[in-house]
Formats: sequence, C-alpha cells, structure tokens
Amino acid sequence: MAEPILSIEGVSFRYPNQSDYAVQNVSFTAERGEWLAIVGHNGSGKSTIARMLIGLLRPERGAIRLFGRLLNDATVWEVRRRVGLVFQNPDNQFVGATVEDDIAFALENNGIPRLEMVERIREAIRQVHMEPFLHYEPHRLSGGQKQRVAIAGILALRPDMIILDEATSMLDPRGREEVLETVRRLNRQQRITVLSITHDLEEAAKADRLIVMNKGEVMAEGTPEQIFRLGSKLERIGLDLPFAVKMGSRLRERGIPLRIGYFTTEELVEELWTLYSKK
Amino acid sequence: MTNHLIIGQYVPGHSVIHRLDPRAKLLIVFAYVLIVFLANNAATYALLSLFAFAFAALSRIPFSFIARGLKPILWVVLFTLLLHLFMTKEGDVIYQIGALSVYEGGIKQGVFISLRFLLLVLMTTMLTLTTTPIEVTDGVESLLGPLKKMRVPVHELALMMAISLRFIPTLMEETEKIMKAQAARGVDFSGGRFSERMKAIVSLLVPLFISSFKRADELATAMEARGYRGGEGRTKFRQLAWKPVDTVFLAAVALLFALLCLLRS
Repeated sequence: MAEPILSIEGVSFRYPNQSDYAVQNVSFTAERGEWLAIVGHNGSGKSTIARMLIGLLRPERGAIRLFGRLLNDATVWEVRRRVGLVFQNPDNQFVGATVEDDIAFALENNGIPRLEMVERIREAIRQVHMEPFLHYEPHRLSGGQKQRVAIAGILALRPDMIILDEATSMLDPRGREEVLETVRRLNRQQRITVLSITHDLEEAAKADRLIVMNKGEVMAEGTPEQIFRLGSKLERIGLDLPFAVKMGSRLRERGIPLRIGYFTTEELVEELWTLYSKK
Repeated sequence: MTNHLIIGQYVPGHSVIHRLDPRAKLLIVFAYVLIVFLANNAATYALLSLFAFAFAALSRIPFSFIARGLKPILWVVLFTLLLHLFMTKEGDVIYQIGALSVYEGGIKQGVFISLRFLLLVLMTTMLTLTTTPIEVTDGVESLLGPLKKMRVPVHELALMMAISLRFIPTLMEETEKIMKAQAARGVDFSGGRFSERMKAIVSLLVPLFISSFKRADELATAMEARGYRGGEGRTKFRQLAWKPVDTVFLAAVALLFALLCLLRS
C-alpha cells in the first residue's frame, strides 16, 4: 500500500481557557482516493480536527502529516492549496459578488495568472454542473447550489483532498443529494480523497471507512458494516442510526431471517421483497 | 428564489455609458462635480446642462428611471429656489407681495443654484445607474492604487467594500426572517406608539447584530482556509480595460472645463 495521503499521530487540542481537551490523542490515516467519514455528536471534536488539518488551529501535541510532509508554518499555504474545506453554512463562505468571482477567490489568493484563471473557472464550474449560473449572485442560488460553488472553488485549485465539515447539514434533502452526488463523482473519477465530517450516519454509510468520535477521542474505526454492528453503542453517544439499519435489527429481533449485516434503504427493500420467494 | 434584488439602483444595459471603464466614469463625474462651481451665467449653465443631458441620453436609460432617482431631492431644490427668490436683494424689484419682494437677482440666483444642485445629483445618479457596485469598487481600488505607496490599505478597503455589497441581500433576507420570527412571537413592528415601535426594533436589531458577528467570524475563517493572506502576491480576476472611448469622454470633460473658463463672467 502506498504512503497515506494524510496521517495524524497522537493529536491533542484544547481551546484557549479550557481545561478539557476538545481532541485527545487522536490518530488515523487516509489513503489516496479514499472516502473517509468522521462521525460523532456535537462537541465530539470532529470539526476541530478539520480545522487543524488545514492549519486553522494548531495541535497542542502530536503531528499532522499531509502528502508525506509535516504540517507547519512553512507548508500550511501549500496544504491550503491542495486541501479544500467546505464549511457548514453556505452563505458564510461565499466571498465573491457572483459565482465566477467566488470561484476565482482562491485562485487570486494563490497568484494564478488571469488567463489561466478563466480556463480553470470554466473547468471547475463544469465539474459541478453549474455552468448556467456563472454570473449569478449568491442570493439567487439555493443552499445546495452555493455548496456546489464552494466545491468548484476548491476544484479550481486542482486539490488532492476535499474536507466536508457538516457541509450538507443546513441543506434540504435535494440540496444534500446534489452535493453528495457531486463529491461522489469527483471521488470516483478523479480519485480526490474525501474526508466527510458529519453527524448523519445515513451520509456516512456511503463512505469507504468510518471513524467514530466521542468526547474528543476515537471510539471506533472500521467499514460501515463493522461500525453499524455496534448498534445501540452508537445511539448511546447521541448518533441516530439510519432507518434501514434500525429496521433491519428490529426485524431480526422479531425472528425474521434477514442476512446478517447492515443495509442501505435500497438493500433492505431488495432483501425484503426477495425474502418471501426464498421460503 | 425569484426576487431580482438590485443593489443600489443599477439599470442593466449595454450603452456607451454602461461600457465605459468605471475609472473613466468616476473621473468624469468627479471632475464634473468640481467644475459645476465654475458656472456663473446663462451660457455656462446651458453648457453644463447640455453635457449632463447628453450623458444621460447616451446611457439610454428611460427618463422615468432617472427621474425616480432625482425625486428625493426635489423638495430640497424647491426650498433652495424659494429661499433665494425671497432672500437675495439684487437688481430691480420684479414683483411684490406684501412685505416680500422678489428681485431680478433673486430669480437668477435661485434658478442657477437649483440647477446646479439638479445637475450634480443627475451626474452622480448616472454613475450609480450605469455602473454595478462591484465595478465602482474595482474602479476606486484602481484609482487609489498609488496611495498604497503611502501605506493606505487600498486593497483591504476595496475588499471590505466588495464583501459589504455581497452581504447586503443576505442580511436583508435575514432581517425579514427575524421580523417574521418575532412577529410570530407577538412583536408588533407597524403599530403602536413611537416608544413601543422602538422597543420592537430592538428585538430585531439584537439578533441581527449577533448573527452578523457570527457570519463575519465564519467568513474570515473560510477566507483563511481558502488561502487568503492579504493583498500581497494576489492576482485579480476582474480586470479593467481602458479603451479609446474612455479617453474621448475624458477629453470631452476637459473641453467642457476649457469652455466654462472662457464663457464665465
């Protein structure tokens, strides 16, 4: 296996004037092209990790390595060019007066020549399917569209990794699907590593691998299937199990012979309607 | 969302005036505002009016739009006119109503001053009608560029202006939302005595301020995450292009200036 694109070793952090650690002795790695989800309840430290990864916060202890290099003052700007962070509130990360201005913002910050900017903006807007909106002002876009513009702003920098920090939590179901679908496509086609930070297990279920955080520490790590087997343990730390998982375990309790494992909604439907004919 | 909210009073268009470089427009209007004060007789005022009306006509903006922009100052103009009419005591008495007498100088002075006022507002309105706020910002940043050498934070000021403009619609939406939320809790924004209405406004302003500060904080974080580190080494996506037509218009203003100097008494 190649060297991990991201590795975190024994990282701890606490906010100024607080005695409790927001993040305590956290270690994990991410491979290139992987979709990794960090799940946890509010205050579990997951957003703090996102902020540390692009140098907005400094860990008190431990080391963060990205692309094989230690994150420090000398490398932070390169990291911010190669790693894009999509925040929760669609409005509060939209800097430009129009869609194209906003996509240009990070390019301007990195001193990209204007002619190349025009080319990259066109390429980025196409990748998020927002071409008709190039000259729109933010107040004429939906939340999901604004988040896609935020992603385009990151893509224009040709990133290696995208971090979604609760990026879909303020969107309606359609906006959420639009954004996730866009990211999924980029993850598959361009092998952009995705780190999705969320409290929505439904969303996390689609990741390659899950890290469960609780009170600043890593509680569990594994594939969605392994994680969902924890069942009520997840509910005890404030996470809401996906409907299909809950339904599956209730049905099993009632003695309905479902295959062991976790289900997405589609899989559960598939399992249920084929069940009868198996008998 | 369907509301096409226009910030300022910009009227989209493709006229010569619309396509002028914002720097040229800023310079023209600024120069005009200064040389208006040179006029002191009928010929010079006629010349100034001719220029302003030609400028307005070239913008191809319907007169009703321009008139709407001028409406708020109509009362001020009228007041100035009346004040000069009755207070200036120069030349022959033209008309007398009881103790008030209207002099010839008063009429002249009143008409001139009101006209000056109208022309000033007309030209500045033309600027905002034909230039988007973001273009004005770009123009100001570019024109003030030389001040960077004197350590004036021109880039930062321009960015502040651009971000404020970008957030106006967002904050208006937010205001509306808070008003509805408070109205649902029984706050009455329209009725009641003055003091009661002021109290209602407080229930709107406090949440609005708090959320604005939160927004500002999050925006700053997002900007930093996107690699913002001040104006140093930054390239610009929006670029201004000075065209021959811009020079022509500036030359027209210079000609106007020369003629005014010649014709004034």
